[in-house]
Amino acid sequence: MAFKIATLAGNLDKLYEFDREPVTPDKLQSWTRFAGMFAGEHVAATEFVIGAFFVLHGVTARDLLLGLLFGNLLAVLSWAFVCAPIAVRTRLTLYWYVRRIAGPGLMVVYNIANAVLYCILAGAMISVSATAVGLAFKIKSPALTDVLPNSLGWVLIAAALGILFTTLAVLGFEKLSRFAQVCSPWIFIIFVAGALATLPKLGVRPDFSNFVEIARTKIWNGVAAAGQEKLGFAHVLFFAWFCNLAMHIGLSDMAVFRYARRWSYGFLTAFGVYPGHLLCWIASGIMVAGVGREMNPGAMAYEAAGLAGVGGLLLAGWTTANPTLYRAGLALQSITPNWPRWKITATAGAVTTVLACFPIVFMKLLDYVALYGLILMPIGAIVFAEHWILPRLGLEQYRAENRGWIINGPALSVWAATLVFVFLLPLHLYFKWLPGYLFAVAAYTALSALGRRTAPRGRS
Amino acid sequence: MKRRAFAVLALLSLAFCLAFPALRFLGRISVAGFRAGLLAASAAWFLFATLWAVKPKKD
Repeated sequence: MAFKIATLAGNLDKLYEFDREPVTPDKLQSWTRFAGMFAGEHVAATEFVIGAFFVLHGVTARDLLLGLLFGNLLAVLSWAFVCAPIAVRTRLTLYWYVRRIAGPGLMVVYNIANAVLYCILAGAMISVSATAVGLAFKIKSPALTDVLPNSLGWVLIAAALGILFTTLAVLGFEKLSRFAQVCSPWIFIIFVAGALATLPKLGVRPDFSNFVEIARTKIWNGVAAAGQEKLGFAHVLFFAWFCNLAMHIGLSDMAVFRYARRWSYGFLTAFGVYPGHLLCWIASGIMVAGVGREMNPGAMAYEAAGLAGVGGLLLAGWTTANPTLYRAGLALQSITPNWPRWKITATAGAVTTVLACFPIVFMKLLDYVALYGLILMPIGAIVFAEHWILPRLGLEQYRAENRGWIINGPALSVWAATLVFVFLLPLHLYFKWLPGYLFAVAAYTALSALGRRTAPRGRS
Repeated sequence: MKRRAFAVLALLSLAFCLAFPALRFLGRISVAGFRAGLLAASAAWFLFATLWAVKPKKD
C-alpha cells in the first residue's frame, strides 16, 4: 500500500516538476499585472445563479448590500493576511508546500478530492449553460427542487454541451484560455447591461428616484420562494467570505501569490471580488426579478439582454468550465500516469458531463460551494499552523519531509477529525467552516507538540 | 492596421455595449433596438478584441 502511494506521489511530482523550485526574484510580477489578472476573475456562469438565489432565499436589500460589502472585505483580508504572506515567504505552490508538511501520500489524497470537487463545479457550469440552449429548443428548465433530470431533452442538451466543452478542452486548452481573456470583460458588461435594461421593466424611473423602493419591494423583498430557506445578513456575509475559501484560507492561490513582490498584493483581489461577487450578484438578482423570480439562468439572460445575454451565459459557462476541466484532469493524472493529456481531460469531461445532467449540481450550488470550501479548508489550517505557530512554539517544522514520511499521521487525523467535527456542529452549513478552521489549527498544533514529546527525532 | 487602432475599436465596442442598455433604461430606444444594438456591439468587441490580442506587440 505504502509502495503504491509512493508511486502515485512520484507521478504527481513529475507533473508539477516545473514549479518545484521557489520562484526566483527575476520572475516576480508587478502589482499592475496582478490587478489586471484579478479584474478578469470571479465572473463565471455560476454568478448568474448565486445572485438570483439570494433573491429566492428572501434576502433583504440591506442585508445583501452589507453582507456582500463586508463578506467580500473579509475574503480580501483572508487573501492578504493568510494566503499571500505564506506564498511570498515560501515562493512555492500549495502542492509543494503541502508535500513538505503533510507528506506526498496526503498530497495524493488532496489532489483526488480536488479533482472530484472540480468535476462537480464544472458540471454546475455546464448545467447553467444548458438552460440557455434549452431555451432555443423550448426544453423546460429544471425546477428549484429537482434533483434528477426532469426530461430527456434536458439530459440530451446537458450531455451535448458537456461533450462539446470537453472536446474543445481536449483540442486546445491553451488557445481557449487566451480566448477566455477576450471574453472576460465582455461577460462582465453583459451582467451590467442585462441588469440595467431590466430595471424599467421592474418600474424603476430613469432618474433612479424610486430605485431603493423597487429594490426593497420587487427584488430583494425579504420573502423566500416556496421551499427555500430564508437567509439573512450573516448568511450573505459568510457566503461571500467562504465562496473562495479553498483559494484564500485553503491557500491554493499560493500558486499565484508566489509571484508577488509583496504580501500586500493580496489586497488587489478586491479588483476581482467586488465586480464579480458584488456587482454581478446584484445584477443577477435584478435579472431573476425580471423573469418573475424563476430560477432559469437561460431565460434570465435572454429576457435581460436578448441573444447577447444567451451568448454571455454560454461563454461564461464554457470559459470557466474549460480551466476547471483542465485542473481536474491535472489532478487525476496522478492515478493515470501513462495516459496522454487528451485521455485524462476526456475522462474528467465524461464524469463532468454525467454530473451536469443532474440539476441538483446547480440548484444546490450555494450548499455545494460551502461544502467545497469546507472539505479542503483543513489543509489550509494545517499549513497555517505549521508555517506560523510551530516555529513560535519552538516545535520542529516539516517533520514529514525531514523523516521521509509518506503520510503525516497528525495531518491526516486532523483533516478527518475536522470534517467529523464540522459535520456534528449544530450550526448552519455556512457558519461551520470558521469553528472548523480554529479546531483544525488547534488540533494540529496540539498533535505536533504531543508528537514531539513522544516520538524522538528519526522515528515516525 | 495598427494594434493600437484595434484596441481603440475594441474599447469603443465595449462602450457601446454599455451605451445601449443605458439608452434602454432612459427609455430612448425599444427593447428590440437595445437587443440588436447590444448584439452588434458584442460582435464588434469580439472581432476587434481578438485582432488586438493576436496582433504582435510591435507592428
